[in-house]
Amino acid sequence: MALARAEIDAAVQSAVAEALSVSEDEATPDATLLGDLGAESIDLLDILFRVERKAGVKIQASELAAWVQGGISDEEFGDANGMISAKGLAQLKKVMPQIDPDALAGKLEAEKVLSLFTVGNLSELVAQRVGASS
Amino acid sequence: MWAPAASANFRVGVDIVPVERLARLVTEHPTSIDTLFTRREQAYCLGKRRGHEHLAARFAAKEAVLKAFGTGLGQRMRWTDVEIVNDVLGRPRVFLDGEVARLAQRRGLVAVDVSLSHTAELAIAQVVAIWDPPAGGPDAPTSGEGGASVP
Repeated sequence: MALARAEIDAAVQSAVAEALSVSEDEATPDATLLGDLGAESIDLLDILFRVERKAGVKIQASELAAWVQGGISDEEFGDANGMISAKGLAQLKKVMPQIDPDALAGKLEAEKVLSLFTVGNLSELVAQRVGASS
Repeated sequence: MWAPAASANFRVGVDIVPVERLARLVTEHPTSIDTLFTRREQAYCLGKRRGHEHLAARFAAKEAVLKAFGTGLGQRMRWTDVEIVNDVLGRPRVFLDGEVARLAQRRGLVAVDVSLSHTAELAIAQVVAIWDPPAGGPDAPTSGEGGASVP
């Protein structure tokens, strides 16, 4: 039976808190994983393995990039200087609704995209995977 | 006075990994070792007395390679696409596979070298990549190709 959304949110929150050794009060939905919580790539791996154990959904680290990019090619997602295009920003707004595309226009480097990814964004990805597999 | 060449297309990458952090990951999530390391890497490191140090150094090397390529772990890339294998003299060599190998070929990678060092606490890897971008193709990486990636 698929987990309810509240259960998914709780599972992701505790996975983040355990992996990063922070309190669940700090691992709030609007906290960014890399910025606010200081996660490194090895921590993201730890979080995803814990999510798999708690929510039964396997997500590879590279799938995070694929998820935020939404099937848009690299060439369309960013420009020649590595800045996210208008089309890329519109896609990011779908998976990271908290961002302001106008404020980020011409300023967001492709390699910085995941720095905007929050605990809540991860919960949404997990929820969609749970829904897809239920 | 000597003016070093300004047009050489090389880029360095460096990464440092706490050994205890890597040890905790592979101990608490045993399947993670297959996600992160090839069979050859596992066979080499786990045969050593301080296996976790060697694993941490290789994880640092994978990160350093991606930094030298100007990207993180992007779409379709796997950690095992970057493999660090010691030659008969003990020198670590970089082998590329899958999406990372395709990225390297597309951008015109000429050579890549890696150096590893580790203590009981920390493992570090330094990578130098040399590029010869194909005519009309993308320049050597400066900030990725426009795709999102996990740092």
